Amino acid sequence: MTDSIFLLSAAEIEALMLSAKVAIFCTLAICVPGIAVAWLLAKKSFLGKSLLDSVVHLPLVLPPVVPGFLLLILLGSQGLIGKWLQQAFGITVAFTWVGAVIASAVMAFPLMVRSARLAISQVDSGLEAAAQSLGARPLRVFFTVTLPLAMPGIITGLILAFSRSLGEFGATITFVGNVEGETRTLPLAIYTYTQIPDGDMAAIRLVVISMVIALGALMLSDILERRATRRIGRGVRPSHD
Amino acid sequence: MIDIDLQRKQGTFSLHAKCVITEPVVGLFGPSGAGKSTLLGMIAGLIRPNAGHFILDGECLFDSMRGINVPLYKRHIGVVFQDSRLFPHLDVRDNLNYGFNLLDGKNQRLGFKQIIELLEIGHLLTQKPHQLSGGEKQRVALGRALLISPRLLLLDEPLASLDVRLKRQILPFLRRVKDEINLPMIYVSHAIDEILYLTTQIAMLNAGKILTVGSFQEVIRDERALALAYASGLENVLHAQVLAHYPADGYTVAKIGAQPIHVPLVNVPVGRMIPLSIAASNIALSKQKIDGVTIQNQLFATVTAIQRVEKGVLVTLDVGCLLIAEVSAKAISDMQIELGASLYCLIKTQSISLVSN
Repeated sequence: MTDSIFLLSAAEIEALMLSAKVAIFCTLAICVPGIAVAWLLAKKSFLGKSLLDSVVHLPLVLPPVVPGFLLLILLGSQGLIGKWLQQAFGITVAFTWVGAVIASAVMAFPLMVRSARLAISQVDSGLEAAAQSLGARPLRVFFTVTLPLAMPGIITGLILAFSRSLGEFGATITFVGNVEGETRTLPLAIYTYTQIPDGDMAAIRLVVISMVIALGALMLSDILERRATRRIGRGVRPSHD
Repeated sequence: MIDIDLQRKQGTFSLHAKCVITEPVVGLFGPSGAGKSTLLGMIAGLIRPNAGHFILDGECLFDSMRGINVPLYKRHIGVVFQDSRLFPHLDVRDNLNYGFNLLDGKNQRLGFKQIIELLEIGHLLTQKPHQLSGGEKQRVALGRALLISPRLLLLDEPLASLDVRLKRQILPFLRRVKDEINLPMIYVSHAIDEILYLTTQIAMLNAGKILTVGSFQEVIRDERALALAYASGLENVLHAQVLAHYPADGYTVAKIGAQPIHVPLVNVPVGRMIPLSIAASNIALSKQKIDGVTIQNQLFATVTAIQRVEKGVLVTLDVGCLLIAEVSAKAISDMQIELGASLYCLIKTQSISLVSN
């Protein structure tokens, strides 16, 4: 009896593993561009900055089905880019796990950018100027001063993005559908189980797993952030004491 | 040699600094808001001037007409900031090495060991900046800037955030840097005594303009320059040589030029030079030597300048070096003190303090 309640079925394990894979690749994919866009928004002023800012944040305020549908139009097998990718390289992203990564990356990107941007803008520009006065070129300053000092916020951003990716539903189901073993991630699996008779128990198991993962991610984020903050010293700007 | 002609407008404030500095160590003096930090920022390359030029030892680092603006990371000018700006994520050793490691071996003219010994920071190497006291931070910041073997060292009010006690601990290190490392320096401060402790060469900046450049003696001939020095609390800084100690009576005898001066007991070996600080308002003047007074010091002096200031008159005296006394206007007219007159400066032993320790 207990076995049947707590033991995951093969399909459930598959959904869990797929979710983990999608979330990990999504986080990896947005890490570098997220930091780059965050740096642009935090430190630079340029024409079209507010437009870039708005576009990056759009997925946060749109119903997820909208970005999902736009992705379908662009990257779907009949889409503008999707068709070209298919013909030129034989690559299909629609209805594949790679498509699920793209969908959740689009949705998680603004969370990453927001968090990293705040962290980068809080790095004292006086320290960056001091580093330059010591002979470091701007790129070196970024990697040796800005990035380490912004690390707590960047870690938070990555974990938020990871969690968002695990929970992504609307854009994913719109763009890549609900294909078992390929695009049926944890939330999609839960949804599927709620739609079939006798699926409640399986749905509940997956709900509990989702909650445990989410809680774990938040706690891990807290620990990592605290550790990173300790590494860079108590105050980011040591002055007037 | 430094040739500066730099302009910058910031809101309603406009700065136009024009001067040629030939002395290696110069104090840039001026009241708060005069534009000292802005000028220093333009020299370092932190702030872009609107117009003008800046030539350091024959190399043009900025020229608006020719479109030259060497970025600060290529200028090789060391900067010590008021707020130290140590990298909080690096320990003291890595802070010191930050610029040092970017140099080619042949350009590392100042050695790591030499600098940590000079500044006595060897015991701090494994600490993080937040574990350091304010004075230690500034010594590390100074060491970090020195270790890039800069062609010019800029010190932007490095002591302004420290209390008097800490200031007096750091000043001797700055003096050591000046004496032991042959390095051109511009020391910015609104405290004239700090500057005089390091150098007598001064550039006076007020309301965005350089009033005068030269030795303190020359600079304060300018009425406006004197008024500024006066407004900042005029402290004489004299360098005297220790002659003998009288611990039982609590005083030390030193000499300025050929004249002995009694100062509170100091723990410095005989023969060593000590910097003394005497407030201008603590010096009284007398036409003849006075017997039967408690004042120990009666220095023979010649009047070299008399200038009116807000509340009284500043009399510049030559006692073997320059000394400024602040007296009332009435006393000057009553005593008929004139240029070239011979006088005695009366200074209480207890009103003299040692700048370091």
